[in-house]
Amino acid sequence: MRDKIAQAFDQVQAEEALKTSTREYIRRKTRGYTRTRQIPGYLRLVPVAACLVLAVLAGNWLYFTPTVEISIDINPSIELGVNRFDRVVTATGYNADGQALLDTLEVQNLDYNDAVEQIINSDTVAALLSGDGIVTIGVIGPDGEQTTRVLSDMEACTSRSENMHCYHADGDTAEEAHEMGLSCGKYRAYQQLLQVDPTVTPEQVANMTMREIWDRIQALSGTTAETAPVQSEYDDGTESHTAGKSEEQGHHGGEHGEQGYRHGGDED
Amino acid sequence: MRSEQEINRAIERYSDTVRRLCMIHLKSYADTEDIFQTVFLKYALSSVHFESEEHEKAWIIRVTINACKDLFKSFFRSRTTSLETLIDQPAPMNPDHREVLEAVLSLPPKYRDVIYLHYYEGYSAPEIGKIVGRNVNTIYTLLARSRQMLREKLGGEADA
Repeated sequence: MRDKIAQAFDQVQAEEALKTSTREYIRRKTRGYTRTRQIPGYLRLVPVAACLVLAVLAGNWLYFTPTVEISIDINPSIELGVNRFDRVVTATGYNADGQALLDTLEVQNLDYNDAVEQIINSDTVAALLSGDGIVTIGVIGPDGEQTTRVLSDMEACTSRSENMHCYHADGDTAEEAHEMGLSCGKYRAYQQLLQVDPTVTPEQVANMTMREIWDRIQALSGTTAETAPVQSEYDDGTESHTAGKSEEQGHHGGEHGEQGYRHGGDED
Repeated sequence: MRSEQEINRAIERYSDTVRRLCMIHLKSYADTEDIFQTVFLKYALSSVHFESEEHEKAWIIRVTINACKDLFKSFFRSRTTSLETLIDQPAPMNPDHREVLEAVLSLPPKYRDVIYLHYYEGYSAPEIGKIVGRNVNTIYTLLARSRQMLREKLGGEADA
């Protein structure tokens, strides 16, 4: 039976026409034996997928990279990272109070004006403000259209209260501040305090309220009031005093800085 | 990508084998053409390195069987029926041979491959198992049964 089967199968042979047409087909398909490999369908999607991934990454980067930071210091020290679309993308508390305050608020993805508004109007800050606290709002970012715009918005915001200040600092100042674990506003105050009290440490400053720091500065520099104004310049000089004038006046006038300061401070 | 010489050599050497496998599985000449194109294009584009001619032949056989099965899986095919005859041989055949082939083709599809590979190509059961990707014992069973069935059909002596 093996032979029978073998013989029967032997009868079946590929026709010459079949071989020829197959050769022709392969020559056509491989474009004269030059094509390397057939690219499977799913591999053609790889460039598309790569572009998508890139677009998503670029979008993430565009959205989640802060271009301007807003530093808010009372005692809670908070820094808000604002992206190029004026949205708050990061919110960092630089001390325990700041972190606690942020935990009670939801400022992510808000417009920076709304976010600052929410912080200023929060119970904690409102209580501090009514208790004679001082708020400094810093705008940290490179000179440019957005920084200027944010700064003017913040000025508009701080001009409503006498105990609110606004300043602009550049990135370097902010970096030095963050290295010490301080927010930008605290860092500036710390630098001022350091001039009159070289023993002060950043840790101490971190846990003092802005009011306490400034009181301290006033107290220590009271006798040489002229050399240490409340807001001396440590950065690029685009400082703006929309508030605190009464303090300075009181301060400048008094022989005893602390008293003069109190006098000024009590006016509000 | 293999060279033209390589491909032509492969077509010369293996087209009979492929043709017989097609005959086992397919009913129409057009399908056979399809399979030839599929198998040899795959051969042309594949970068598989063959250790020996035996390896190459086994590869061709496996690709052909799979291509035939794929053809049957396609939707269009599963909904249409071929009107062509069982064995579409252009040349007139010896009645004896025809009888044997018809007997083989009358078996269920799973027996045809093993019959062909064992009786014509001379592969052993373990080799067939490797080529078609099935258990050796399954192959032994298939061989025994097909031998039984062929003996009934052809009335001859089945010598393994």
